Amino acid sequence: MTESFKNLWHPIASSEDLQYRHIFQGQLLGRELALWRADDDFVNVWENRCLHRGLRLSIGQNDGLELRCQYHGWRYANRSAGCTYIPAHPVDAPARTICNRTFPSVERYGLIWSGEDPVGELPEIEALENSETLVLRSISVNAPIELVLGHLANYRFSITGDPDNFTTTSRNFLDERSISLTATPDGGELTVVFFVQPVDSNRSVIRGALCNNPLGAERLRTLRHHNEELSRLRDMVELEALDGPPLEPMVATIEQVPVSLSEVETPSGRKAPLRVKVLRKWVTAEDIVGLELESIGEPLPTHQPGAHIDVHLPNGLVRQYSLTNAPGDGLLYRLGVKLESDSRGGSEFLHETAKEGDVLAISEPRNNFPLRRDTVKTILIAGGIGITPLLSMAQTLRKDKLDYELHYFAQAEGHLAFPEILRKLDDSVVLHLGLSPDETKGELAVLLAEYETAMHIYACGPGPMLEATRHIASDFGWPDEAVHFEYFQNTIELDSSSSFEVSLARSALTLEVPSGKTILEVLRDNGIALMSSCEQGACGTCEVAVIEGEPEHQDVYLNDSEKLAGQRIMTCVSRAKSSHLVLDI
Amino acid sequence: MIKLYDYVLSVNCYKQRLMMSILDVPFESILVDFYPGWEHKGEEFKKINPLGHIPVIDDDGFVLRDAHAILIYLASKYDPTGLWYPTNNPELIGETSQWMLFAEGTTNTASAARLHVNLGYEFDIEACRTGAHRLFRVLDEHLWFREQENLDWVCSGEHPTVADIAIFPDVILSEEGGIARMDYPALRRWTDRVKRIPGFETMPGIFPASEPRSLPREGEVHV
Repeated sequence: MTESFKNLWHPIASSEDLQYRHIFQGQLLGRELALWRADDDFVNVWENRCLHRGLRLSIGQNDGLELRCQYHGWRYANRSAGCTYIPAHPVDAPARTICNRTFPSVERYGLIWSGEDPVGELPEIEALENSETLVLRSISVNAPIELVLGHLANYRFSITGDPDNFTTTSRNFLDERSISLTATPDGGELTVVFFVQPVDSNRSVIRGALCNNPLGAERLRTLRHHNEELSRLRDMVELEALDGPPLEPMVATIEQVPVSLSEVETPSGRKAPLRVKVLRKWVTAEDIVGLELESIGEPLPTHQPGAHIDVHLPNGLVRQYSLTNAPGDGLLYRLGVKLESDSRGGSEFLHETAKEGDVLAISEPRNNFPLRRDTVKTILIAGGIGITPLLSMAQTLRKDKLDYELHYFAQAEGHLAFPEILRKLDDSVVLHLGLSPDETKGELAVLLAEYETAMHIYACGPGPMLEATRHIASDFGWPDEAVHFEYFQNTIELDSSSSFEVSLARSALTLEVPSGKTILEVLRDNGIALMSSCEQGACGTCEVAVIEGEPEHQDVYLNDSEKLAGQRIMTCVSRAKSSHLVLDI
Repeated sequence: MIKLYDYVLSVNCYKQRLMMSILDVPFESILVDFYPGWEHKGEEFKKINPLGHIPVIDDDGFVLRDAHAILIYLASKYDPTGLWYPTNNPELIGETSQWMLFAEGTTNTASAARLHVNLGYEFDIEACRTGAHRLFRVLDEHLWFREQENLDWVCSGEHPTVADIAIFPDVILSEEGGIARMDYPALRRWTDRVKRIPGFETMPGIFPASEPRSLPREGEVHV
């Protein structure tokens, strides 16, 4: 029986049980579940077990967008159940593969339905389809489901709630765990449907729904009447169950955490494994379109603030776009794309050709611009379309109640992207409109004049503005590690004339890098697929640790002290000053 | 200032800390070496409470023992609104007394089971657990019907009373005594509501709730 139950949809809570900002503790077929309603009304049904140390998620906190485990504060996103934040590693983005086990959920007839492995859609329940229903108080019974169902077959109730006026009923088993009972007094008709939830081998919950929704005092009287009758029934069943044979508790299999979680991710080059549909496209500001991408099939992987995706366009181009929405916010990615006047076909395609309903190929989200959350204050500096990653950050900081300011430099009001989100961030947003480059520098000098420990700057915008930010911050004593940049592109003039040798320490391989070829290309030619994204020294994806030798940096991703330290290299553009480099791959 | 003879892991001492935090009454905690020192059973402490248990308060020379009695005293003396111990409403004060007596039951079953598990007290653990489940079943049904009438608390007023403070700690720590609350969804929701009372305090094993949902303002988009 347990096996066939696994393929059924079971009601495991009532809609009323799942109040906002609450986590309901449930169980089905021996498996404990944590159920929570997000602020967008999505009902999450998850294994009641934090992936980290196995603590019950039901004692955690539901903040409307994420569920936070009470033990070490790991946070998991609405819908995807992907981990968005690990407080012990406030600087790092959690691995994309850290994701709680989810089960399907449907909210219908005032009940929450789920199942271990339900086959097909939730079937229509005719009796409940055409009327307003009143969900009765659920009754937990310490008895096996068969025993409960047997007694429910003899359930009698009074339509008026009057204990002297019980009605004979006709009964109809709908399937192996539900029954409908109909009373037909004086030509009228009233049906109640009961579902018995198999909690464990010796535990069940009776969930009833009445095909009528009386109001006021009658409603309360009806609820009390059924509660009284069902409690009486429960007491009888429990007594009887004491005489039954002892039952072994059901054992739910807990999925092992994938071994890959403890391994270093295998580099795989530029891949676009995800397919998304353009759900919405709209003009959000002058020359900027907003795009909402929704998954086709599997839910989209969870992203962290600052993350970007590669969009592989039908014309063969690969472009990086930051995600503007906060983690846990819906089952979609939101991008802002500016039409570049010198577009080589990337932004032009998304502006002019892409339409709502089109399918695009994208990479999984990557985060080379991770947001620290162990800060006393964060200053976000956006120039033009550089607002996109900072919007995701600002929403996250606002939700976490961390002190921040978002400074948005733009030509004019019409150039402000996503005004509806900016309004929501209200007094933390400062607009700087129509400033000349010199005025911008002056303004930056005011903003960055005071540095304190644990303050951080995140800046994204045109190259000259980022360079100005870098110099001004340095002048005011900001250490390099407190100032974080995301460049649109690398404007350094690349010199690929040198030739040198690279030894790969882990692969025990030495290769020649001739002039005109990058380290990345040479590695690829020799079957070593390193992960990469922008391939122009801006995004940081193809970074590798340097063990020996002196790199010749030509990227804009590393900061000055990182470049000076010489311990890391962007293999897509940077080369060697020495004749030999030893890399940690 | 009020002195509270206190032990951080004691559920009955926590009831006093919680009440005083909510009423914003400053107090000084006099730590008693309850475990493993059994200081409350010693000759010195018996001069303060001959029954040899905590909590005890000393409010400027006025000494009072027994957790639920102290709650009544604190609310009567330090709550100018009169809502926590509503003596001016006969029905409500009757209900409050009824549920204060119920709290004696939850203390002697659910919290006793916890003492057995955590500190090795010799109680009949199965009797404690069965008794706690019997009371939780009654309370869950009661609170479920309260919700149907849009009422949040144990007593029928719109404001919580000392009865909520007396019962809550026994309930929220029950799992430490091996008493699951999965079968009591309305009881679990009520514990969230208690945690959202302004001035709420935690103790080891009791965690804060998330913030309640505020409705979006006009024209605001969900982001």
